[in-house]
Amino acid sequence: MDFFLSLVIAGACVGSVYALVAVGLNLTFWTTKTLNFGQGAVMMLCAISTALLTAQGLSNGVAIITGVAIVALVGVIVERIAVRPALKTAGSMGWVIATLGFGILLQGITSKFFGSQAIPFPEVLFTVQDVIDIGGQNISLQYVSIFVVSILIIVVLEALTRYTVLGTAIRGTAQDMELAIVQGLPVNLIVSGSFVLSSIMAGIAGILTAQISGTVDPAFGFELVLMGFVAAVLGGMGSSAGALIGGIIVGIIGKLVGGYISTAAEHGIAFALLIMMLALRPEGFFGRAEVTKA
Amino acid sequence: MNAMRIFLTKLATHPLALLVLFVVVFFGAPYLRGATLQILSFALVSILFTQSINVLTGMAGQISLGHAAFFGIGAYGSAIIAKTFGLNLFLTIPVAAVVSSLIAYLLSYPAGRVKEVYLAMMTLGFGQIFLEVAREWTDLTGGVMGLSGVPSAGLGTLIILGHKFSTIDYFRVLLLITVCSMIFIRNFSQSRLGRSLFVMHYSELAAGSVGIARRQTKQLAYALSGLLAGISGGFYAHLVGYLGPESFAISRSIEVLVVAIVGGLWSSAGQVISAIFFTFLPEQLQLFAEYQFIAYGLILTFTLILFRQGIGGLLFLPPRFIRQAWLTTAVEQQRQATAANSKTNEPQFLKIQSVSADINVQAITMRFGGLVALNSVSLDIQAGHITALVGPNGSGKSTLVNIIAGVFPPTSGQVFLQGIDVTAQADVEMAKKGVVRTFQDPRLVPHFTVRENIMLGAHAMMHYTWLEAGLSMPRVRLQEAQALEQCNEILQLLDIEAVADQAVESLPYGYRRMTELGRALLARPKIILLDEPAAGLSDLEMTRLAEILVKLKHLGITVLLIEHHMDFLNGLVDEVVVLDSGSIIFKGDMLGMRQDPKVIAAYLGDDEVQHA
Amino acid sequence: MTSSKSYSSLTLIAAALLLASPVASAQPTIKLGMTTALTGPFNEFGEGNRRGVVLAIDEWNKKGGINGRKIELAEAMDDQLVPDKAVQNMRRILDNKDIVAIIAPAGSGPSLATMDMLEADGRPTCNPLAQSPSVIYPKGKDQPPRKNVVSMAITNESEANRLGQILGKQYKNIGVIHESTAYGVTGAELVKKSIAATNPAAKVQIESYNQRSQDMTSQVARLQRSQVDAILVVGLGADFAVIRKNMSRANVKVPLFGSTGAVTAPYLEGAGDLAIGTRSVSPDAFGKRPLSAYAQNFVDQYRAAHGTDRWYGSDAANPQISMAAIVGNAYDCAVVLLDAIRRAGSTEPAAVIAALNQTKGLAGIAVPSITLTAQIHEAFKPEDLGLFEINKSAAGALYLKPVVE
Repeated sequence: MDFFLSLVIAGACVGSVYALVAVGLNLTFWTTKTLNFGQGAVMMLCAISTALLTAQGLSNGVAIITGVAIVALVGVIVERIAVRPALKTAGSMGWVIATLGFGILLQGITSKFFGSQAIPFPEVLFTVQDVIDIGGQNISLQYVSIFVVSILIIVVLEALTRYTVLGTAIRGTAQDMELAIVQGLPVNLIVSGSFVLSSIMAGIAGILTAQISGTVDPAFGFELVLMGFVAAVLGGMGSSAGALIGGIIVGIIGKLVGGYISTAAEHGIAFALLIMMLALRPEGFFGRAEVTKA
Repeated sequence: MNAMRIFLTKLATHPLALLVLFVVVFFGAPYLRGATLQILSFALVSILFTQSINVLTGMAGQISLGHAAFFGIGAYGSAIIAKTFGLNLFLTIPVAAVVSSLIAYLLSYPAGRVKEVYLAMMTLGFGQIFLEVAREWTDLTGGVMGLSGVPSAGLGTLIILGHKFSTIDYFRVLLLITVCSMIFIRNFSQSRLGRSLFVMHYSELAAGSVGIARRQTKQLAYALSGLLAGISGGFYAHLVGYLGPESFAISRSIEVLVVAIVGGLWSSAGQVISAIFFTFLPEQLQLFAEYQFIAYGLILTFTLILFRQGIGGLLFLPPRFIRQAWLTTAVEQQRQATAANSKTNEPQFLKIQSVSADINVQAITMRFGGLVALNSVSLDIQAGHITALVGPNGSGKSTLVNIIAGVFPPTSGQVFLQGIDVTAQADVEMAKKGVVRTFQDPRLVPHFTVRENIMLGAHAMMHYTWLEAGLSMPRVRLQEAQALEQCNEILQLLDIEAVADQAVESLPYGYRRMTELGRALLARPKIILLDEPAAGLSDLEMTRLAEILVKLKHLGITVLLIEHHMDFLNGLVDEVVVLDSGSIIFKGDMLGMRQDPKVIAAYLGDDEVQHA
Repeated sequence: MTSSKSYSSLTLIAAALLLASPVASAQPTIKLGMTTALTGPFNEFGEGNRRGVVLAIDEWNKKGGINGRKIELAEAMDDQLVPDKAVQNMRRILDNKDIVAIIAPAGSGPSLATMDMLEADGRPTCNPLAQSPSVIYPKGKDQPPRKNVVSMAITNESEANRLGQILGKQYKNIGVIHESTAYGVTGAELVKKSIAATNPAAKVQIESYNQRSQDMTSQVARLQRSQVDAILVVGLGADFAVIRKNMSRANVKVPLFGSTGAVTAPYLEGAGDLAIGTRSVSPDAFGKRPLSAYAQNFVDQYRAAHGTDRWYGSDAANPQISMAAIVGNAYDCAVVLLDAIRRAGSTEPAAVIAALNQTKGLAGIAVPSITLTAQIHEAFKPEDLGLFEINKSAAGALYLKPVVE
């Protein structure tokens, strides 16, 4: 297959997963202006649960649903024990460190009980050998399907927030929480809900990524969350479209740099982009510069 | 509980106790087993590294999730210079530390512009980049193969000026440097610069309002932090003798955060205990390696929430940011001064020596996006007068004050201070020119005492550098004592001497307002802008405030205040300006304002005009 | 008359007994020490090493120990393959003057970190696993090795030489993907040299990856673009699985080779049937049928102690090839040290080292015949490696099958 094309396709695919992570991060940023710095562990937990359950004999579908349910629960827990108390008492840094710590805790518990080894992840979406012929090029169906699934989820989420009552409620809470409370919106529920949704996004992203690599281990996910950050920042914190485009850009640029310059640089380029973006235009491509009343 | 804290604090800060401890450790070193000496050396390195977090995160409130990078720059820097040029560690470590400091200084440029979550991400990214560079730049760092053959006492390869350094010698040098660094930091924290770091964290605007330069303060925090991290990294390199990039991964950054948080973010004493604990624990508890993640995870998740002050808060009294000895000097100086002269009611240093300042704004328009907050407002604030700015909520009063104070420039229009155009001047510059303001709700450092908060106002009046502060030079004592003396006078003026040494977070609202006023006054304002100073005060407090404002007027200070309390303003102000929806609708005295139909309409609605 | 004779013989017997007993019971044990990855992501290697050492000690103790003294693994510390931790642990081990010999950590990182201090200390040390040449020869192969350190590990050189010969002879354009670690970097460099020596006209392209990367498209695509006709991966099992999958997605179907560390259980589990056909050079010891008597005894003892666990493999009749290189090498380390102590008749470092340098044809597991001299401190020879290919058994299990060249 064409060199350039293979890089772009793989880049778009991993980028779409970064976008999924970014969208998940955005959700909690809307409602609470916080991010789960331990999101990587959430991704890992979902992927490992799914892998372990299929190893026990459960069907792929049931295992995935269970895995997602587990991390949805984790989302509720994170909000309750790490984010909410930290916002109340520990100032601006508290929740960053608390969520980071929670992720480390999850990782520690997982490696204590399931070992630190990488365990194989089942083929959920097609197999590695399935290809589709587009314009004479053989493209891996796994890449395509992952890309499609990610985009679909993001689009559905965006539609939900724009066109449903629930979505309006979330946006209302995001704009002005006090007003939302006064209006009678169940703000606590909405905030919890945003964390649950965010964790579900992360869990699915974890499964998709594990599908690409084929194995999961407890340390999985940390890098991905960083990529999610980069995607979110590039696109503009809080913007779904931005997250999508940001993620795909990060993915493609990473692969292109790895392919044309050096595979060693592939790793660091994303962070360089992050720092540059934060230094030059923190609001990202699609965000609006924040103006706060003094 | 408190008695224990008092006792432990006395012990931990008593010079004799510390000297004894130092002597015991210093001379006891040869009697320790090799492994114990090595662990203690690791503990000292950890203490030093944690101090770098103390300065940046504890004091300045800037989160760093990638501090291992600076540790690594110090380590690799010293190792590479030693191996390449054959220089000894007394040269290589300082050089490497300076490099680390420089890079931290450079990082402060992008980092200083972003807040909180973005800063966390940026530092995370920075740490990762360092790791990649260490891994890939094989020619310089040895890459993944690592750098071996670093001169080390443990291997017998550390030779300085012909003398072969033993592990005991190394430990002693490290001990000396650590002790000196901690003394330096303590001195620094009790100086104007140390205090300014704290206010950066809690309110950058408050910092600007008394002339504390934000960018420079952040740069100082980063540079000092980088220096400390670099020194600790350098000593680490010569301790282990071999450097591999994986030693500088995110786990190192997380570890130092854990130590700092458990110790108490700005408690050096707590951090010493925490560092020693976390260095010894994996040694004593082989089991710990397996549970390390779980332990660190639990600590990071819950400590800041449940156990905010850490070990420091548990065992010791809160650290103070003013030298007690200098306060005593100041009190003494004041007593002598008042014995010599007749006691006056007002602090004489506040007296305007030459001419009172006036402010003239011309055609100020301010737009926030589509919203027009101020519409071509022009007004004269007369020198030496008390002027009130009133109007309904959202009329643009705070915006006007912000513009005058220099918080942001107007969309169009000009501001003149004593005839000079100061439109484009930032708040820090305006403060230095004598335009000081207070805020609608007091922006104080919560755990500082009243005195410490007020002392922030003296920042721009003192001129010693961070180096002088750390070394506790005589100049520092002189300037601090003078500022403390003036601070005392202000405390007396505001009648809050009784609570001077209590933390403001434990005081009622009225005291906090007064503290903020005190801070503004210590900055020797020519013009003072007060944003709703009477809000939330009791009747008694309001009367007191009015008396104080009259005294300020006697001293020649020009006062502009935003207020809603008409009774408070009655008999106090010389002139009142009424704003409504961004335009001035009335200028004159209180009586005239009450009768003006436009004012009545704005406040009470059109119907009322007919009845008035 | 009889009474005086029996009286004297009784006295003699009593005297003999008196003399004999204290000697037998009051002897201190011969103590060994080690720090390795007992827990953590690399504990497959560290724990495997420890089991090998313990098995050897138990074997020797069963045979009476050394000159009546029992042997003991006095310190088995955990460093999770973190170099700092290894340094701290090693300092503690070296502080213990009772320890007479040391087994090095299970990886190049911590080994390199502790080698200088071990050399400075001088006590006999054996390296079971780390493959970086500078562990044994810090100044290069043509300079003397560290006086007190010997190695039973597969040498990067042996492996690289064999691989280089095989690849250089059959292929013209070879792609090497290696992990960004000491193991990966030195392995790749040595293979490149070896290929050049075998076939100067062959082209070699080298790519690298960070451990636990999720997607290796760039690496694979670059090699695909260069139209390589064979790929070698120097790294560990889990990452090898990722690469294999990427190759499949990119439709890269060239012959695939893996280093010893790559064709381990995580690769077989992760890549599944895709692993079939992958080739590797691994210690030959368990490829031969029948197993040597010495090796048979080893696997029987291991199975008796631990059963068919993840080091042994599920098939009792066919222990995993990798066990020789993960458990067997540490077994050999312990044996070679104990053998030297026995021949030296003392635990004095100088005497033991002298005896080590005279080891000749000692039976071993990973190294079937161990010979050491003052210059040669690495026992492993290229001949100890065999070529293997991953096959699927009738029962559906994947295993390494020897290839007859």
